[in-house]
Amino acid sequence: MKFDIIIAGVGGQGVVLASRLLATAAMDAGYHVATAETIGMAQREGSVTSHVRIGEDVCGSLIPHGKADLLIGLEPAEAARNILFLGKDGNMLVNEHAIMPSTQGFDEYDPETILKFLKDSCPQTITADFTGLARDAGTYKAANVAMIAAAAGAGLLPFSEEYLWGVLEKMIPEKYREVNRRVFDNAIESVSGKSEKSGKEANEAK
Amino acid sequence: MDSYSTYAYLKLAFLSSNYLHSRGMTLTGKRILMGNEAIAFGAMKAGLQIASGYPGTPSSEVMETIISHAKKYGIYAEWATNEKVALETAVGAAYSGANTIVTMKQVGLNVASDPLMSLSYIGIKGSLVILVSDDPGPHSSQTEQDTRAFGHFSNIPVLDPSNPQEAYDMTKLAFKLSHELETPVILRTTTRVSHGCEDVLIEDIDPVSKDIEGFVKDSRWIIFPKLTAQRHPLLEELQVKMSDLFSEYFNDNTFNSITKGSSKIGIAASGVSSLYAKEAIKEHSDVFSIFKAGTAYPFPEKAALEFMKGLTDLIVVEELDPYMEEQFLQIAGKYHLSINIRGKKNGSFPVSGEYNVDVVVDSINRVLDKIGTENIVLSHSTAAVKPEDIPPLPIRAPTLCAGCMHRTVFYAFKKAAAKMKKQSGIDSVFSGDIGCYTLGNARPLNMVDTCLCMGAGISIAAGLSHTPEFMQGKKAKQVAFIGDSTFFHSGIAAVVSAVYNNADITIAVLDNRTTAMTGHQPHPGIGLTAMGSPAKMIDIAEVLKSCGVGMVKTIEADDLDKCMDIAIEAMEFEGPSAVVFKGKCVAICKATGQYVVDEDKCTNCKLCINQLGCPAIFSIASGIPVIQDTCSGCGLCAQICPAGAIVLKEA
Repeated sequence: MKFDIIIAGVGGQGVVLASRLLATAAMDAGYHVATAETIGMAQREGSVTSHVRIGEDVCGSLIPHGKADLLIGLEPAEAARNILFLGKDGNMLVNEHAIMPSTQGFDEYDPETILKFLKDSCPQTITADFTGLARDAGTYKAANVAMIAAAAGAGLLPFSEEYLWGVLEKMIPEKYREVNRRVFDNAIESVSGKSEKSGKEANEAK
Repeated sequence: MDSYSTYAYLKLAFLSSNYLHSRGMTLTGKRILMGNEAIAFGAMKAGLQIASGYPGTPSSEVMETIISHAKKYGIYAEWATNEKVALETAVGAAYSGANTIVTMKQVGLNVASDPLMSLSYIGIKGSLVILVSDDPGPHSSQTEQDTRAFGHFSNIPVLDPSNPQEAYDMTKLAFKLSHELETPVILRTTTRVSHGCEDVLIEDIDPVSKDIEGFVKDSRWIIFPKLTAQRHPLLEELQVKMSDLFSEYFNDNTFNSITKGSSKIGIAASGVSSLYAKEAIKEHSDVFSIFKAGTAYPFPEKAALEFMKGLTDLIVVEELDPYMEEQFLQIAGKYHLSINIRGKKNGSFPVSGEYNVDVVVDSINRVLDKIGTENIVLSHSTAAVKPEDIPPLPIRAPTLCAGCMHRTVFYAFKKAAAKMKKQSGIDSVFSGDIGCYTLGNARPLNMVDTCLCMGAGISIAAGLSHTPEFMQGKKAKQVAFIGDSTFFHSGIAAVVSAVYNNADITIAVLDNRTTAMTGHQPHPGIGLTAMGSPAKMIDIAEVLKSCGVGMVKTIEADDLDKCMDIAIEAMEFEGPSAVVFKGKCVAICKATGQYVVDEDKCTNCKLCINQLGCPAIFSIASGIPVIQDTCSGCGLCAQICPAGAIVLKEA
């Protein structure tokens, strides 16, 4: 078994916590796991990428290009920036909520164009406004929790959502637990109608 | 103080080390740990008693993890003012027989190099592990220096783990070696080891033994030319002894290993590169002979020689310096071996930057092509899209957070400098320093003209001030920005020198009361020790006054006009002047509200966007500016809006 996940976003979106939660859940589910995270200067509103490698064959923590089975994009442009990591049979889960860079290049960034590119590139891309979903449930900051919950809910992870919630419950301080539970449940609910077909099956069906 | 301690609690709650305690009393078992956490657990398992360090990415979490467990196990842990002080503190404790660790990033070792170079002659009594994190890339550093070379330079052994599990196990070995050989041991990590997480098998930790022999007076602790002359040959002997010991590790130690392949091509690798190499050759793993050395320095010469015999080609895979490659080249020359050694020095591998599997695949293929092995070619995986298909993406450079106090100060000085230029034709030069506020260089602020290393801003400004012909013969105003933690780290000596030599400079201290960039560690200006005890709060303004700075003012960095007025006053002052700008770090303080653009009043002049570069504000070409969720309510944009169109959102 080998399962490689890329999580991409902007500094401040909680990419590091998301990868830590996924990794711990994977271990609880009985897998060997290795991650690589972006910490430091790049976290200040810069592009941030986490690599999560699950399985017995894991070597280094950096996923080679074309190897990722799942790309979780907390932001459309950041998903596109990391799409070369995605294998041809991989799946993608993308947050429709765009974060506009203020200092430069904002005139050229059209999130709709990027989202269309992502959907064209990967047949099984699931997109939704996970930031909006989290905001409605209590805090926009929990978009990271919403997305990993959605990944589990859509059957895109090699372990069930119970492992994920088990970790969240223990790692999140009690006063934030309730709001995170709401985000978690709403996110799973939001993808319940989506196809659970893997990228490989979808490609074969084409 | 309150904001710091609240945040510290929250942050530690998220560290998996706390999570693992929530699962029961025993630690023994597999836990998800970051490499840095694994090192901390390894050190505590090895009987750590005293820990000191200075924060620096990617090393900081080692100390943070030790600190969060210090009380439980009876360890003394502290953040020192800088790496030199941290090392010397650990040295003192080790002289008395304590088990000690000191932590820093690679450029921190430069600061600590003075005690380090002498220490190898003196040696230690208890144990002393020096954790140094290198940063190939670099991701968050000024240099791509290689600590393995520093070990060689200073005659101090270097262990080089490839993943968090090895980091845990090697930390224990480092303490053992240090004690047995009476030498400090460097544990060198790279970013991917320090900041990667893995399920790591760890063991229960016993409470610290208070049994320390204590300092015994002896002439061996006093370095003197005569002692150095006596010790030097012994130090060189120790290097040979350690090299031999590390060669023996190939027989019975998992950190060093040799596996034989079917061809006459060998691959040598160390650290995380050995894992990239392993994955790159996965489909041809039986072809190559593999040499993996976790003991980087002293190089295990005897084992390397045995490995090289019978090989025609050797591929060396390593990030940063061609350190191993040079060792192999030396051995090949010394023993007249007929072998081609291929790495960075003949163009096969990139000489800089971080490696990954794809880089290693391409590089090994380049070598195989030269060798002429037709049937072995390493392959890449197929990506979902081709690089050329990706549409243009927005550039997202790191920038100051929304609501950061530094932005207000930078903008105040920018306006002050523009005013002085207009009124009297005087230019200004802004020397920056290391910390979040290095990001003052980002557009549109452009407020960092020089940045070199920790504490250099004040000294460089002083140097520039002594060149009066600078800029069309009119003396420019020299301004140095420095953060609170950096001020204590290495700013004070520069202030004293500037005052002593009457340098006409203005020092702007950006005091947000935390070491923000590295993860909000406390420092001497906060009134709190690393372990959370109350401490004497050292007042930066009082330090500046006592150093003899002629004008010292303190101001809250929230009112732009007041900040600008004080900036002009300080810049017009003849001789050294200083302003301490006080504020909070928005990353650890709650937002005070959110601003919103009143669409009826906004004239769409885009001043807020074009002047400030605040990541909370954006606009598309045709629309008026929009303020996003990340607004923390500093109100700087409202202060500069000429139409009064930016207003506090009603709760």
